[in-house]
Amino acid sequence: MEEAPKQSYSDQEKNDIFNNEFLPHIKSMYNFGFRLTFDQDDAKDLVQDTYLKAYRFIESFQKGTNAKAWLFRILKNSFINDYRKKTKEPSKVDYQEVETYYNSEDVDRQITPDLRVESLKDMIGDEISNALNSLDVDFRTVIILCDLEGFKYEEMAKILDIPIGTVRSRLHRARNLLKEKLSEYAKSMGYKNTEL
Amino acid sequence: MTKPLNPFILADGTKPSCMEMLQLILDGEATAEQQVYFKAHMDHCLPCFKSYDLDTTIKELLKTRCCGDSVPNELVDQIKTQISKNLAL
Repeated sequence: MEEAPKQSYSDQEKNDIFNNEFLPHIKSMYNFGFRLTFDQDDAKDLVQDTYLKAYRFIESFQKGTNAKAWLFRILKNSFINDYRKKTKEPSKVDYQEVETYYNSEDVDRQITPDLRVESLKDMIGDEISNALNSLDVDFRTVIILCDLEGFKYEEMAKILDIPIGTVRSRLHRARNLLKEKLSEYAKSMGYKNTEL
Repeated sequence: MTKPLNPFILADGTKPSCMEMLQLILDGEATAEQQVYFKAHMDHCLPCFKSYDLDTTIKELLKTRCCGDSVPNELVDQIKTQISKNLAL
């Protein structure tokens, strides 16, 4: 992803980069893989495949640059090119609809005026995780990258190969969908009068 | 007193909505100047005031509740073994 000229590393340097710059991100990588596939074995395969590719193409990685973003981009591409094709899971997101929504005048409409902080804090089970998992994969992905992993918009744009404006609009839509879901959970938990 | 210029206004003159401003603040993408402006804006914009708390809470909860999956113990070893095998080919 960093368009650096191809590097030349000794075997020792390759192993150092692999152990010190790549492997420390394995927990985040596995979590990303699991939240994309919802299957432990598929997540393991995706992560393993990502690390093998990272090693094979290690000379395209410039030492000391953003290894985590580089690895996430490989995993995302493996997911789209290999896993998704294999499972034939179609992309369910209509991007035209997304952009139209974002540009519409009611974008600031409060979809979930009834959701409140107090009810969120009472969600001590898997509600937050389930709400995230309920989102379509492209919306889920931007939330994972931004809120779970703390990537900046610019990094997300590179990982996902989309313009920063699209990162922003997709995040906005994803968060509204997440709030709708959390709002449903809150209602089922018995929160009715919901004004702050 | 003149109203301070909104530092969120884009080069083409587009004025971002409250939710767009809030998103930049929430994600740490706002400049120092934008942060100061938004803080003052929040004092007289109830929707922003409410959303700020709510969105911050959701972001924190996502981070604490959705990052806990532990990596299967054998995964790192499997990866290392596979790389050694490939190198030997």
